[in-house]
Amino acid sequence: MTTMETSSGPTFKMYVAVWMGMVVIAAVEAWMAYMHVSPGKLLATLLVLAVVEAAVALRYFMHLKYEVPLLFWTLIPGLVFAFVMMNQFWADASRMSSLRFPIP
Amino acid sequence: MTAGDVHGAAMEPSPFLIQSKKLTVWLFIVADAATFGAILFGYGYLRFGSPNWTKPFQFSPSIINAFIMTVILLTSSLTMLGGVAAAREGRRSVAVRWLGATVLLGVLFATLHLREWSTMIHDGWSLSANPMGGSVLVGATFFSITGLHLLHVICGVVAITVIAIGFGTGKLTAGHVETTGLYWHFVDLVWMFVFPLVYLLNLR
Repeated sequence: MTTMETSSGPTFKMYVAVWMGMVVIAAVEAWMAYMHVSPGKLLATLLVLAVVEAAVALRYFMHLKYEVPLLFWTLIPGLVFAFVMMNQFWADASRMSSLRFPIP
Repeated sequence: MTAGDVHGAAMEPSPFLIQSKKLTVWLFIVADAATFGAILFGYGYLRFGSPNWTKPFQFSPSIINAFIMTVILLTSSLTMLGGVAAAREGRRSVAVRWLGATVLLGVLFATLHLREWSTMIHDGWSLSANPMGGSVLVGATFFSITGLHLLHVICGVVAITVIAIGFGTGKLTAGHVETTGLYWHFVDLVWMFVFPLVYLLNLR
């Protein structure tokens, strides 16, 4: 059954290093929230740090790095595309009512 | 086409070179990520579109509590990885101990979360009430997002408990432990977005 798996994955020492890195990123996020930066810059910084954490979790904790590349290309780009569509088009949803043609 | 060809096609290995149950969990994770993405995008639009959005969280106790919860969840991912590694090596009792630690950390996370909810509800917060006088959407989005995540944590705790018992008694395989671990890491991953977006962006 396990012969289908592509690799045995990293060592536990590497997991601990990744875990420590993610704790540090979470601490940096909390520290950033108390810096005097504009809300836009804070949002962008927190989002970038969260995406870095998510990428690390996907690659190492969820072993995506050790699977065949086809799995990544099948799952992730479509999800990112869906998020981009949410970001681009949902904001316009609030304008829908004002875009209607007037009732004669 | 011969009968042998048909049989060969039926036994064709997965192009992803993983077990079907692992692929199923991956597909579930992608669908669930889209759900969380949708509610977080919805929260973002409401958050920045509401001029009277109140900021309920202070450094102590809210942010300290949320940071401790973050470390607990990250640590539970580490113990889950220990469980998966031990299960792959066939060390059943070691794997069950790692999974037990993961369950305990999950319960601790849920307890801290419910304690925070209890304090907020005691202060007058609800899905439709804001004791600070601003938009009621603050409570609605907070309880919805953290509630959906908490539901995932509780389901994960139950699932890991069942898998640990099954693996410990020899009824389940290391593959079951690994797929459950995949789900648990996803729950951790979602919190990586909830912590900054829901807590850190709402500091007083």
